[in-house]
Amino acid sequence: MPRAVLKWLPLCFFVLFPLGTGVLFSEFYLSLLIRVFIFGIMLLGLDILAGYTGLVSLGHAMFYGSGAYLAAILLTHVTDSIWAILGLSIVANAIIGYLIGYFCIRTRGIYFVFLTFAFAQFFYLVFSNWIFVGAADGMAGIPKPALGIPLDLGDRRVFYYLTLAILVAAYYAARWIVQSPLGKVLVGIRQNEERVRFLGYEVNSCKRRAYVYSGIFGGVAGSLTVGYLSFVSPSVYHWTLSAEILAMELVGGMGTLVGPLIASGFVIYLGDLLSSWIAEAWLMVLGTIYVICILYSPEGIFGILRKLGPLRRLLSPGDKGPS
Amino acid sequence: MSFPTFLINLLYGFTIGSTLILISSSLSLIFGVMGVINLAHGAFCMLGAYFGLTLVLWTGNFWLALIVAPIIVAVIGCLLEIYTLRPLYGLDHMLQLFLTLGLSMVMSNLVLQIWGGDVRSVTIPEALKGNVLILGTVYPSFRLFVFAVTIFLVFSIWFLITQTRWGIILRAGIHNMELVDAFGINISRVLTLVFALGCGLASVAGVIIGAMHNCNINMHADLLNWGLIAVVIGGLGSFRGAVIGSLILGVSEAFGALLVPGLAKFTIYAVMVGVLIFRPEGLLKEV
Repeated sequence: MPRAVLKWLPLCFFVLFPLGTGVLFSEFYLSLLIRVFIFGIMLLGLDILAGYTGLVSLGHAMFYGSGAYLAAILLTHVTDSIWAILGLSIVANAIIGYLIGYFCIRTRGIYFVFLTFAFAQFFYLVFSNWIFVGAADGMAGIPKPALGIPLDLGDRRVFYYLTLAILVAAYYAARWIVQSPLGKVLVGIRQNEERVRFLGYEVNSCKRRAYVYSGIFGGVAGSLTVGYLSFVSPSVYHWTLSAEILAMELVGGMGTLVGPLIASGFVIYLGDLLSSWIAEAWLMVLGTIYVICILYSPEGIFGILRKLGPLRRLLSPGDKGPS
Repeated sequence: MSFPTFLINLLYGFTIGSTLILISSSLSLIFGVMGVINLAHGAFCMLGAYFGLTLVLWTGNFWLALIVAPIIVAVIGCLLEIYTLRPLYGLDHMLQLFLTLGLSMVMSNLVLQIWGGDVRSVTIPEALKGNVLILGTVYPSFRLFVFAVTIFLVFSIWFLITQTRWGIILRAGIHNMELVDAFGINISRVLTLVFALGCGLASVAGVIIGAMHNCNINMHADLLNWGLIAVVIGGLGSFRGAVIGSLILGVSEAFGALLVPGLAKFTIYAVMVGVLIFRPEGLLKEV
């Protein structure tokens, strides 16, 4: 019984949430949650890669940025259908993930961190010099996407439900991936790559698949961001974004799927709360929380939560955190 | 391309490379000895640049800044090593990586809070402001000075590593830290000193870059990026590799700017991908 409640209560809460806008709280919280959901989608992808496979990427902004710019270009010049944009974003990021992954996957551990970092910075460099997409200024006033049904995505509530739906779909997709045979192999790779190789698995191809999957999540998140904000600048490719989501991932607890989602909510809410009085210095606070978290609770806030009885099984789909 | 143009560009490439050398070689040294990839290295470099800026503003003496700023940063590095990195030795390497990432976030935003977001420059002393004539080309003497300082520092470190007792401990530590410990050498002190030395070298580079180019709030990311690429090319943990990797990067950027203008920065990535395809472990494996 508590398990079923725990599972459906948050979802019910988020589904009913927009009904309270204007009555219980301002519309601001709606846009805050949209941002949390978008980051959540990206974090689910990162969790497959970093948490389950143990491949820590410091260049995940590459996918986010590619999804964002793709959506920006398509919305301005080609189509306004959100479905076409999301579809193309998935395809394009899968291709990017495959190509870049081909180089990155061959390396291990720290080299992987470097390479993903360097490739993401490469994209940053390209997009801050490319005149067609506004170079360093980025693109503003991008048209709103359309759903294809008579609902206006310019309405915050509609966009809220769209992102919520995609987040839920993404969560089940990620859970399906980590519980599938591939997911088991990925956890095996994290724990001992050599042994998995001796068992006869194509380690590199499994890792590449994990990289491609996680890239797709990132790309979708990027496209949604542009659909929501109608603005894009090269900062979507910057490594500070990669660092920030990695921090969220770690604060939430790696390899838990739900943990990073909670952490993204926590971090974004804290960010908004603090940035209203200490502006950009809030990243300093985030950094400090993050450092304290690493020093005293490497499993994240979620590692503590997970120890609390009934939550335990629900919160560990398939696997228990980094070993 | 005439021969003098070639030489001047080679020199320019070495100058760019030489600022990188200080960053990448200390990054590589820290990794070799401590097994820690210091993602806060760019931030230490930036901290050095901004301390240098303030010291020059206060005292008007560039030479003092060049010496004192690295010492301050080395002390900060020392304290951070003792209080944050030390508890993590022996745990997952990734935790140390995350920690330095967190330190980088804190430090770079601290710099933003203290010095603000304006682009500023460390004042160059009068003696180095002029130009010299090399092979019929006007060349800024400050760049020659930078090149000279780097050569001096690289050879000092090389001497330290190969000729002193401390260097023997370092090289032994790169192979097997536990064994060094078993010989009764206080390794936590060695690790702290290596980290402090690395931070100090990075901030020498910071002061120089602050004077040659400028100090800005995003410099740590670029510097870390370039340093990491140089280390990846040269071979992780290899001091000589980092020196060679930095010079390759510097020269490829200088000639890239000459041959394919507008794409100069991309030549670096081309070099990196090329090296990684043929030698995924980097060029050198030895110290």
